[in-house]
Amino acid sequence: MSSIGLNHFLIISSILFSLGVFGVITRKNAVMVLMGIELILNAANINFVAFSAYGGFPVKGQIIALFVIVLAAAEAAIALAIVLNIYKNFNNVNVDEIDNLRE
Amino acid sequence: MTFTVHDLISLSPVLLIGVGILATLIIEMLVKESEKILGWFTFVLLLSVAYLSLILLDHTALVFEDKFLTGGRVNIFFFLFSFGAAVVSLLSMEYIKKAGIHFGEYYIMLLSSVLGMMLISGATDFIMIFIGLEQMSVCFYVLAGFNRRNERSLEAALKYFLLGSFATGFLVFGLGLIYGAVGSLSITEIVIGYETLKTSPLFLTGTLLFIIGFSFKIAAVPFHMWVPDVYQGAPTSVTALMSTTGKAAAFSALIIIFSPIIQAAYPSFFTPVISVLAVLSMLYGSIVAISQNDLKRMLAYSSIAHAGYMLIGLAAWNEKGVSGVIFYLVAYTFMNLAAFGLISLIEKRDLRGTEFSDYKGLGFKQPVLAGLMALTMFALSGIPPFAGFFGKYYVFLSAIEAGMTWLAIVGVISSVISVYFYLRLIVVMYFDNSDEIVMVTPSTSAMLGIMISVLLIIIMGVAPGSIINLINSTF
Amino acid sequence: MNLYDIIFYLFAIITIVSATFVVFTKNIVYAAYNLLLTLFGIAGLYVLLGADFIGIVQLIIYVGGILILILFGVMLTNKITDVPIKSGVLQVIPASIGVGMLAGILILIVTNISWRNMELTVPESTIGSLGMLLMNEYILIFELLGMLLLIALIGAANIARK
Repeated sequence: MSSIGLNHFLIISSILFSLGVFGVITRKNAVMVLMGIELILNAANINFVAFSAYGGFPVKGQIIALFVIVLAAAEAAIALAIVLNIYKNFNNVNVDEIDNLRE
Repeated sequence: MTFTVHDLISLSPVLLIGVGILATLIIEMLVKESEKILGWFTFVLLLSVAYLSLILLDHTALVFEDKFLTGGRVNIFFFLFSFGAAVVSLLSMEYIKKAGIHFGEYYIMLLSSVLGMMLISGATDFIMIFIGLEQMSVCFYVLAGFNRRNERSLEAALKYFLLGSFATGFLVFGLGLIYGAVGSLSITEIVIGYETLKTSPLFLTGTLLFIIGFSFKIAAVPFHMWVPDVYQGAPTSVTALMSTTGKAAAFSALIIIFSPIIQAAYPSFFTPVISVLAVLSMLYGSIVAISQNDLKRMLAYSSIAHAGYMLIGLAAWNEKGVSGVIFYLVAYTFMNLAAFGLISLIEKRDLRGTEFSDYKGLGFKQPVLAGLMALTMFALSGIPPFAGFFGKYYVFLSAIEAGMTWLAIVGVISSVISVYFYLRLIVVMYFDNSDEIVMVTPSTSAMLGIMISVLLIIIMGVAPGSIINLINSTF
Repeated sequence: MNLYDIIFYLFAIITIVSATFVVFTKNIVYAAYNLLLTLFGIAGLYVLLGADFIGIVQLIIYVGGILILILFGVMLTNKITDVPIKSGVLQVIPASIGVGMLAGILILIVTNISWRNMELTVPESTIGSLGMLLMNEYILIFELLGMLLLIALIGAANIARK
């Protein structure tokens, strides 16, 4: 009998979520921030799949995870377009240096 | 899954806009210089969607395996989104020419964002809300950076995207926890299981993360940091869209989640969180707006404050509060549309000219525009007899009925502070003078959009009772 | 400790360690490659949870698509040949404290839940039932995602064009 339960998966997802949040708030490079966001979305997906696998209706959570993956793909495409354009205009992608808008 | 004719008729506003997006795509592809006709095409399409939503007000239907609701309050939101966006398309026509972003894709994005908003307001399921919200946000990210040679516009897009998708991350993770606690993401099941759920730490954490994610979208303090930069940097017509219908869509999600729980007369554990958000937003928005020199930025802070007033209605946790919020949303939408429409007219070709100093002496040089702007500012500051006053009145009244008089008092204090910066613009327009010549040739389309908004502000201020009765009748 | 446990811990360690690298390393290219390992580890976790299709989709879309996009982003926005590809950090210490507390609270909550059925249900194959759900209950969302991807395509092309 396996000793692994739902909690093990949830702990992994909590750690991933926290690492993702850490990445988003400490990184200057826009691409790195995007990586942090991907970590957060993946953490949420683990939750969906784990909860439904242990809840007795495995497929329903999986389908939500599928939707989140598709959304992440759409967001990544937009992100790349914006980042490339920023690079063309500002010559860097550091969020703290892109700061023309202020009082 | 079977569809009846009744279902199809009830769904027709959503279907029409979906077909419209595809038609716009095809026109954009096939017709040369499609930009010229697409503006009016979008306007007519959105207007017919708005008309359909109004005549189908009592066609309630639950379609797509109980995933989507139409009729009643949902249709009021449909009307608000499509009519607001129709006004935005009027304001956009000349403005996007001036800004050098005259492409057909602009209208495709505008229509798609409206589709996303409609899906949010009809959702019966968290996953549906989430997908609609994403559809709307993706369109807004693109629209904010639409002016891709303008550094300010790009910066706005980057900031909006990074913070917006960070908020999405919180939202999804919160949904994951809610899913774990409930075993489903359907709002009905959450309402059924509410008694046991309200002590579940998993559900509470999930809801808290969800509310944090949503506070980003409605621009409530302390999750407002993107608002001033994005509202200032984005093209003005886009700011008009996302500050009005975009915010209304996010509020419609909160309303459809909360109002079944309110109707079942369950006590609220959200009230403390929402009240804190409301108080912080009202005071922060009003106080920081005083020191702004850019009009778009000032309106951004004022929109944070307005989000605070609307949150009062939700914190009050009664049906009066909910209909007050809907009234406020309608009023706020048309006040802001008029204000941003006027700003977009006065803005110069290089997209500067949105500072207070650019408005010096406008009252003598452009008496019509200045008069409309003054009227809009009076309405925004909540001076009767305009729409803004009754919005605040209904919301504050619901708070007092719920025994939260202190919240209403904070709201009144914040409104009094806000009068200062709205009236400051009027003072600049009528009492300062400069020799600079303001060359404005208002186009027919933009003037039509502004006149519609101003007319609605006045009508809502003169006859608020009939509108609030209409909203109440949809409960 | 049986085989399932060993495989679980293997994937768990891959995921967490590489994710830690992603957020702590200064070199952006290392971060991207570590993200590859993280996503791969998560795909393994999905398979352990009986979600074979999601595991494969994770590999195809995340590793094969999104990660490649991110790598493009890294390569096109950094001068690889002359400048070291480093990225700075902001407010590390307050962020560490805040995020540490967040992780602590989350772990405390998820380890104390009472889930109604603590047995893992592993279906034989999920593809068929996923397809049925997608075409019936979630048909509206399925169609909308098609719309969303179309819009993202148009939007991205419009922003990035010359």
